[in-house]
Amino acid sequence: MDFLKQLAMLLRMNLLGVPQHLGLACTTVIGVTCAVGVLVSMLAMGVGARREAMGNVRPDRVSVLSVDAAGLSQSNIPPDVAALIGDLPGIRRNASGQPIAVPQAMVFVLARRNDSGSLVGFPLTGAGAGLADYAPELHLTAGRMFRPGLLELVASNTCAHQYQHFRVGDTRLIQGVEWLVVGNFDLGRSNGRCGAYTDANTVLSAFGRSSYNDVNVVLQSPAAFDEFVNAIRGNRLLHVRVEHEAELAADDVRQVNGILIFVSYFVGAILAVAATIGSANSLYAMVDSRRRELTTLRAVGFSGAPVIAATLLEAILLAIPGALIGAGLAWLFFNGLTASPLGFSFHLAVTPYLAALGIGWALGMGVLGGLLPAVRAARMPVTVALRAK
Amino acid sequence: MKYLPLVWSGIWRKPVRTALIFLQVCVAFTLFGILQGMRIGMDRAIANTPADVLYVGPAVYGEPPLPIADLSRLQSIPGVNAVSFNYGMLTFYQKPTQAVYVLGIPPSDLMRTILPEEFIVQPEDLEALRKTPTGILITADIGRKYGWHIGDKIPLTSSTLQTNGSATWTFDIVGMATLNNRDEGIYVFANYYHIDEARALNKGTVGHFYAIASDPKQAATVSDAIDRAFANSASPTHTESFRDFAQEDLQSLGDLNFAILSILSAVLVALVFSTTTMMMQTVRERTPELAVLKTFGFGNRTVFLVIAAESLVVCIPASLAGLALAWITFPFAAKYIAGLSMPMVIVAFGILGAVLVAVISVSVPALRAARLNIVDALAER
Repeated sequence: MDFLKQLAMLLRMNLLGVPQHLGLACTTVIGVTCAVGVLVSMLAMGVGARREAMGNVRPDRVSVLSVDAAGLSQSNIPPDVAALIGDLPGIRRNASGQPIAVPQAMVFVLARRNDSGSLVGFPLTGAGAGLADYAPELHLTAGRMFRPGLLELVASNTCAHQYQHFRVGDTRLIQGVEWLVVGNFDLGRSNGRCGAYTDANTVLSAFGRSSYNDVNVVLQSPAAFDEFVNAIRGNRLLHVRVEHEAELAADDVRQVNGILIFVSYFVGAILAVAATIGSANSLYAMVDSRRRELTTLRAVGFSGAPVIAATLLEAILLAIPGALIGAGLAWLFFNGLTASPLGFSFHLAVTPYLAALGIGWALGMGVLGGLLPAVRAARMPVTVALRAK
Repeated sequence: MKYLPLVWSGIWRKPVRTALIFLQVCVAFTLFGILQGMRIGMDRAIANTPADVLYVGPAVYGEPPLPIADLSRLQSIPGVNAVSFNYGMLTFYQKPTQAVYVLGIPPSDLMRTILPEEFIVQPEDLEALRKTPTGILITADIGRKYGWHIGDKIPLTSSTLQTNGSATWTFDIVGMATLNNRDEGIYVFANYYHIDEARALNKGTVGHFYAIASDPKQAATVSDAIDRAFANSASPTHTESFRDFAQEDLQSLGDLNFAILSILSAVLVALVFSTTTMMMQTVRERTPELAVLKTFGFGNRTVFLVIAAESLVVCIPASLAGLALAWITFPFAAKYIAGLSMPMVIVAFGILGAVLVAVISVSVPALRAARLNIVDALAER
């Protein structure tokens, strides 16, 4: 009880003294603001990239790949195998009673950027019948859907905005033949990348291929996953494996995200160290300026522990506003901003989780910065300090 | 000079405070050095990428590969000086997560001049590759990763089958090569002719041609000429110089400069604020001492300069220490970022930055010290 009473009094004294040392107090606040602001803004890139990739992911959608493929591009599913997959149990059926199992063949084709004129690869995905059932988030904003068997494609609006010859009515030369762009679409919550769809068999014949990359399946429910996998295991004709859509999407951004997260924490940590040092320095000065008060209190019976606790609490109370301001500024300036630091663009996302993370870092900076000054405050030799002016 | 002891004793009046300021400036300039080094490194990497080496690949990623027979036609295109080629084969060592990329190259001396900065191989290693059809050259990185040494036999599994139907390719390590910048410990270099002879499918094809233009300035024209020549063939090409590749990489990193600038501004603001308040505090605490100095006849200007000198003497060495620290980290970061470097420009900018930080943070407190009224200050009013 004594401890709490003493702590409350010391804290009150410390905080009432803050206006007299406004500059010193602001050192902590501004240092933490900068460190947290930078950390949160940079992590917001990673969160944004992940959100972009995972935006449309649904737990009931899975992809069937060949068993040895490390990823979609190495996977090979011949048409006869694709046909077998459609007959497996656990697959949802569309309005006309057909199973939603869409074979897909992906090729990378080059497109020219509007701004720089440089060539960049984009995925042209050939999809079998049932694309609309599999991906209801794909909705046309202009034109119409491609027709099977014809050299027609629909392109995302990202393509239409960033690259040449992707608007409805444009023709593109792919594999030496002219393709007609018949539609533009939005793709639900992930619109960052350029991608185009056409008929699967058109891709196979135009690119001289004999097999699809994978078969995309909508399950009756996420719980039907085991039933579906067991059916595949039980069929000796199928050398395939099943991946949740979420896993494939996460694989896609893992490398980019790894870099972003590493750089964010690296830079954030250096800034945090600088802020902690600055905070420690200003707290030392504040503690020194309160020598007489502190030693007087020690002389009348205050113990050391509350002195330490009060100084630490003061450091934390100064760091928290810094964190809030930093996270707030990051949100104000960068939330929703489009960035393309590593080749593809996405919106930065400053989430409550990131704000909480920032506050956590601020707590760390406060405690580490306050520790040494707090110990010094508690250890001041009473007689010497009282004798000094 | 005669004021040096005065400046020195001022600095060590509160050793902990000075040490902390020194550390803070040092840490801030470490970050400055690393970020600037990164930026300069990237610019330099582009400038060093040869503009005269053209990379000729299929117009569509993946298939179909280019026939090696195109080589003579490429060589006959005006402006093309020499042609080489490669064929890459994705394999794995022991388990699928341990990817090894086998780059088949012709073991000719031409390979030594194509990317002299990036791909470095000694003549004796090339000679070993020529003599041993199943030979491969490894990099130090991949050797360390899997504990491989020269003389080892390495089985690699690939989806590219051999004529006997086997998916396992056994290679002999016969030498070393160096791959700068992008080596992530996944590349090995094999004899193209051996791979081509041993594989079941796609015989007589290559992944890419390297066409070396006789005049770097004509690289774009030559690229277009190559693509035009093959436009209506069975295997249309897409040609780009390595410089273009590097520039595209940089463009995709376009927002990076903005990010670096923002981060450094944030650091500078926090640093200047922190040092300013500390200097203010110092001057406030020393008011009586400064008054005594003035009583002894020190002019306003001298007092100003003494205080300013204290700040400079701390900040400049601290910034140099920070840059040195950044420089020490470069070898570790070189794995992730190409060509990190710290030219004198950055050091100069660092010192300039330190002077700026010192001058800005000391100007107000030093002015206050200079304007002290002796009577008030001695009375501590």
